Amino acid sequence: MSPDSAFQPDSLFQIANPVALLGWIALIFAPLAPRISDAVASLVIPLLMGLAYSALILAHWAGATGGYSSLPDVMALFINPHIALAGWVHYLAFDLFVGAWAVRTARDERISHVLVLPHLALIFLFGPAGFLTFHAMRAAFRLRANAAGATS
Amino acid sequence: MTAIPMPLTPATRLWRDAPAFTGVALFIALTALPLLAAALIDDRTLLGAPVWQKPLQFHLALGIYLITLAFFARFVPGGLQSPRWRMYAGVVCFCIVAELVWVGGAASFATASHFNTDDAVMGTVYGVMGLFALVLTSASAVIGVAIWRNANTGLAPALHLSVAMGLVLTFVLTLIVAGTLSSMPGHHVGTPVTGDALPLLGWSREVGDLRVGHFFATHALHILPVAGYIAARLLAPAMARVAVVAAALAYAGLVFGTMAQAFRGQPFLSWLG
Repeated sequence: MSPDSAFQPDSLFQIANPVALLGWIALIFAPLAPRISDAVASLVIPLLMGLAYSALILAHWAGATGGYSSLPDVMALFINPHIALAGWVHYLAFDLFVGAWAVRTARDERISHVLVLPHLALIFLFGPAGFLTFHAMRAAFRLRANAAGATS
Repeated sequence: MTAIPMPLTPATRLWRDAPAFTGVALFIALTALPLLAAALIDDRTLLGAPVWQKPLQFHLALGIYLITLAFFARFVPGGLQSPRWRMYAGVVCFCIVAELVWVGGAASFATASHFNTDDAVMGTVYGVMGLFALVLTSASAVIGVAIWRNANTGLAPALHLSVAMGLVLTFVLTLIVAGTLSSMPGHHVGTPVTGDALPLLGWSREVGDLRVGHFFATHALHILPVAGYIAARLLAPAMARVAVVAAALAYAGLVFGTMAQAFRGQPFLSWLG
């Protein structure tokens, strides 16, 4: 089976980005259709990404140099374009999944969706940083609720 | 309040009679998807075949095997639900998943799984996997004997006999053919091997291929019940049972015949496809 040009790392990258973006758009408009956006952003797209990631690792891990045990090893991994693409797909999938989790958690805890949007932007661009700020906001809401409970 | 009996769909029947086999069959089918995706982007080959062909064949074959056993489990009294059956089914499922991890893992490194004696670790694993293969194949014999001894399957006698014989023959014939196969250096007999093979099955069109006999041995549990069903429909009970025994003997003949053909270095049905 010779690889089709559509499956070269560059073309897969070109497909993966807009697919992830679709998930983020679903999350932005989540209040309009919570169940659909949740299914798309926390299940369907991460599963598709998981499929692409698994295929890349199964096909190219053995041929890659480097490993997980030292920083130079990890950097060596990313010299291989297939592994670098797999790493990128990993980011896309898990960032989106965390974004979907934030939207769902805010809904359950009755935090306004508008307040989640800046954290979504941060998760989209710098995943763990947005995770941090979203938790900071949750903590603030919880302390406020506790304070309100204590005074009433 | 009276309980309304739920109508049993074919799927709920499988889940009730053999939950582990049904669940693992589904799991095997779903985990074939990433392998299929890998096959699309991977251009490595091993012995002339794309590296992911063998793992995909194993997922397909073992998935069909488990679903077939789950189907026949309805003719075992009480299905496979007792603690002893559950434990045995768990061991069989473990062996099946281990085989798939081994075959898939070897493929990801574009190295051989079976017949790999170049590497000390892989050589040892190959030996262990032979034992696991024996355990997973034993399930057909164990279920076959349990069905044989069950007088209340509700099946016509000839069909009952053919189901039990098919299951037991799958074990016996596979043991003989696969045991012989594993004592050889590889599955091909003869040269030259350029990679010309039948589609899907992957059997050589150029030389003898011992996997042909393995295939037919392992599918006794499908073919014999079909023969038994036809015999039970067309013949008187006594004649039908004779026909089933004759079909079993003929089928064993086919298995040994394809094996002998492979040992002579001749391809099987090389004109097909």
